[in-house]
Amino acid sequence: MREFSRRALLRSGALATASLALAGCAGQDKPGPSDAITVGSKGFAESWITGELYAQALRALGLQVTLKTNVGSSEIIDQALTSGQIDLYPEYTGVIVMSLAGREELLATGAETYQVAKEFEASRGVTLLEATPFENKNAIAVTKAFADEHGLKTIDDLRGIGDFVYSTYPDNVSGGQGYEAIVREYRLPNMKLKTLSIGLNYQAIERGEIQAADVFTTDPQLLRSDLVVLEDTLNLFGFQNVAPAIRSDVLERHGSEVSDVLNRISELLTLEAIQTMNAASAVNRLDPSQVAKMFLDANDLL
Amino acid sequence: MSAAALSAASAASGLLSAPAAVTAASPVIPDYGDASQCVQNNGLFCGDWFVQQWPVIFAPALLSHIMMTLIAVVIGFIIAFAAALYAHRMQWFAGPFGAVSAFLYTLPPLALFQLLVPITGLTLLTVEIALVAFTLMILFRATIAGLNNVSPDVRRAGVGMGLTRGQILRRIELPLAIPSIISGLRIATVLTVSIATIAAFVIDTGLGSPILKAISSPFNTQFIGAGALAVLLAFAFDGVLALLGRLLSPWTKARA
Repeated sequence: MREFSRRALLRSGALATASLALAGCAGQDKPGPSDAITVGSKGFAESWITGELYAQALRALGLQVTLKTNVGSSEIIDQALTSGQIDLYPEYTGVIVMSLAGREELLATGAETYQVAKEFEASRGVTLLEATPFENKNAIAVTKAFADEHGLKTIDDLRGIGDFVYSTYPDNVSGGQGYEAIVREYRLPNMKLKTLSIGLNYQAIERGEIQAADVFTTDPQLLRSDLVVLEDTLNLFGFQNVAPAIRSDVLERHGSEVSDVLNRISELLTLEAIQTMNAASAVNRLDPSQVAKMFLDANDLL
Repeated sequence: MSAAALSAASAASGLLSAPAAVTAASPVIPDYGDASQCVQNNGLFCGDWFVQQWPVIFAPALLSHIMMTLIAVVIGFIIAFAAALYAHRMQWFAGPFGAVSAFLYTLPPLALFQLLVPITGLTLLTVEIALVAFTLMILFRATIAGLNNVSPDVRRAGVGMGLTRGQILRRIELPLAIPSIISGLRIATVLTVSIATIAAFVIDTGLGSPILKAISSPFNTQFIGAGALAVLLAFAFDGVLALLGRLLSPWTKARA
């Protein structure tokens, strides 16, 4: 009798777990109908938020949307797009031109950068939809006091003000937008270098350990600190507006409703909008999905 | 700033000029409110935030972590158990299967995940193949050891009672192997819970996901919350399996 109950227990336990496991498998990765769309995003908060905006707005159209968050860097996610693992993702125009297309020479305007990026993507069967008004790119920031003291408005103005210390992250020293390129192109032998991990430069500049810092223009910390961004008169940092890169075959399948809603989102993403959302994620610690939902709600896209 | 100055400024900064017909969109920017002092100062553990984000971040992560672990252990156990039964009958098979599973066990998990990505893509399948690979050696050895450790006297008694080979396996060897199998399952499950946190490098799932996402912008509560849940989950699985072992082999209680 005991023998029997033990075996029954074994059998029912095994059955229960096996069916659980099978149910789990069945619930994942099933190839959806042709109206299913997979959105991807890169490895940082701004991209997670943008990916959520795309995914939730497309869901509101009644499409079946899968969101793959945190897929990886430009090269990895680009490969995921061209190999069909994802259908669209938000990309930066300058990144497409410099990293994916591998163009070395500087372009003069944001519009031209977008055009070059669009043509490059089109040559591979990818459509670049409308870009955002906001850009997220490297910039040089100084404290307001330092700017007032030396009358600084542009990076050129740093020439001849005596030695000062500039900080950037360790892997941005050589390279086209790195410390060495800035010193060379703007002729700033008086600019000394201190490398700091991303995120530590704000404390350092507030404490006066450095006078100029490499910042990202949409960083919420920039909004909350008393810093001035110097104008990049040579366009050394390029142009980095965000546009949805979507495979052309996916776009053809769905027609204009998809491109219309994605273009509408791009249009709404001003610098202030994205900075506020970045702050909601980095400061308030809201999840990207919550941040995006509130924004879409406020703008009647849900 | 006047409108003229504004448009001049945006033109000067080289932003994309909108088509002339469309006036620049002005988004409605929602008020995201203020975070508590603990969250703003990145305190050690902000209970208020953890409770608030439980349904959004932690519960889905925990649930997917449990599913990931169960699928891997169940499939791993089916494969390892079948291999052990075969090796029990065909002694030659134990060497090669043991060697292959031991080799898989020694691979660095992150490397195995990344090696599989080009083949099976950024999918749950990639993650499960890797997780199953890590369970095989422990489960195979535990089952084989349990079966082989049945005393020859007991086996001979079975033969004397006129039992067939299959009956000896089912009625004598397997029941006596249960404690060993259960201890193998306990080790394999706890190991899988911990390795499954690395799956977040491949797909955005499990308790590794909140940990990985908080690295670029460190937030203690997210690290500690997800980490503690992984530890508690390992304890819970271990406890449930220990209990199951007790129920399935009541005769060991006297000795335990």
